[in-house]
Amino acid sequence: MSAELHSRGDVALSLTLAIVTSSPGPLLLLDGQFSIIAASTSFCALFGANPAQLAGQKLYTFDDGEWDSPQLRSLMTATLSGEETLDTLDIDLKRPRGPVRHLIVQARRLAYLDLEQTRILLAVSDVTTARADAALKEAAARESKVLLGEVRHRVANSLQIIASVLLQNARRTSSDETRGHLKDAHDRVMSVAALERLLSTSGAGDVEVQTYFTRLCETISATMIGDVDQISLTVEGGQAIIDARVSVSLGLIVTELVINALKHAFPDGRRGKITVDYSFHGPNWILCVRDDGVGMPLTPPAGTGLGTSIVRALAGQLSASVEATRKQPGTQVSIKHTQIALVADEAEAASEPLASTRLRPARSAVDG
Amino acid sequence: MIMTAPQDGKTTQTLMIVEDEVLVAMVLRDELQEAGYKVLDLTERQAEALDVARAEKPHLALVNIRLAGRDDGIELSEHLKALGIPVLLISGQVSRASSANTVAIGSMPKPYDAAEMVLAVAHLLARLNGDGSLPRPDQLEVFGEDSFDLAPAA
Repeated sequence: MSAELHSRGDVALSLTLAIVTSSPGPLLLLDGQFSIIAASTSFCALFGANPAQLAGQKLYTFDDGEWDSPQLRSLMTATLSGEETLDTLDIDLKRPRGPVRHLIVQARRLAYLDLEQTRILLAVSDVTTARADAALKEAAARESKVLLGEVRHRVANSLQIIASVLLQNARRTSSDETRGHLKDAHDRVMSVAALERLLSTSGAGDVEVQTYFTRLCETISATMIGDVDQISLTVEGGQAIIDARVSVSLGLIVTELVINALKHAFPDGRRGKITVDYSFHGPNWILCVRDDGVGMPLTPPAGTGLGTSIVRALAGQLSASVEATRKQPGTQVSIKHTQIALVADEAEAASEPLASTRLRPARSAVDG
Repeated sequence: MIMTAPQDGKTTQTLMIVEDEVLVAMVLRDELQEAGYKVLDLTERQAEALDVARAEKPHLALVNIRLAGRDDGIELSEHLKALGIPVLLISGQVSRASSANTVAIGSMPKPYDAAEMVLAVAHLLARLNGDGSLPRPDQLEVFGEDSFDLAPAA
């Protein structure tokens, strides 16, 4: 029926206006002189404008002339002349009433059959809230980074105090046995400290096992009491990245097993070698600490050794088994974690020496 | 540990420790003394540290970044540098220490092992004397390697 009452041109125009008016995104339809032909309801709502008053108004006089900026003028001129390079504009609109709004404005010259009548579509996105959110997020991320740094600093400081107290006590005691226990405790603290240092430089929560074990062994080397110059400490195995929580336990296990080997495997100045070897295949891994010393009892007498109970407890926490085997010569302790039974369970990690540390390397150098 | 500082026929080398954690400072002092160094009276504030430094002219100052009374170790290091006293920073504030690479000659971040600190001190003092042959502990960060003007190791 409407087709009979209205011309085809009227219908086309009313459809155009209806589309513009109902656009969910703020939209203006302009003519070649930048006068507003129609505005979307969303545009009127965003800028508090009356649709009836908008029609016929010049774009640059809208909102008390606040839209009259050199940038917008050059965007409109460029759009009118058909240039496409300048078709998006980021503007901060200072409004007489209300706060500054950050807008992204896009202009398109419409291509249609009537070449005489230029029409430009202006789409506006209000990114004020999104920008504010992004700024808040950025500030929060910066703040967390600062806080994390502060926490790491405090942890480092606390570990330093604990280590110092233990070392101080070890120096003051007259009992060799007590001194040994205090030194062991000091080494355990430093084992955690070595990890903390790695984490503070890496920034992420993952740890490169070989680097960690190598540093750990250097620290143990530097602090060992007694004449252990004849023993070398080597770290072998493939490059593996593990979670920080797992690495704390592994580091403590390595510390205990190395200390144990140093104490018992090489009596009377015997020369030898201790090897720390971590290899993995998928989620399965094996940590071995072996020595070529005199060989130790595989099952220590009941009630002995805090070290042994620490190793068993930590291995249990990692769902790993502990197995001590006698070698010719020496002893090997394997901590094995099997998550998935693999058909050809051969560790793919190459077992080549990555780092070798002479125990107490500095002694001769400093003495000399 | 039985370690002795290199004597090279001259007087014992002198160190100073500026650290607000007294327990940490004491252990460090004991360890360094046992290694053969002369360690000046412990200080924890900038003003007293500068008094000691001016009077005794130590060969190397071990300085924590956080000091007592909100004093700042990096600011102190600038004054020490002006006095011609090289500084080794001994702080857990790793990034601040690294950014102070023009005022200090190195950084040994907390938590460090006291025995490794002895190695770090020996390494730096030797380098200051043009001898780069002593092992550098992994943890020790040495700033401005070029500025040491190393002579070939004897």
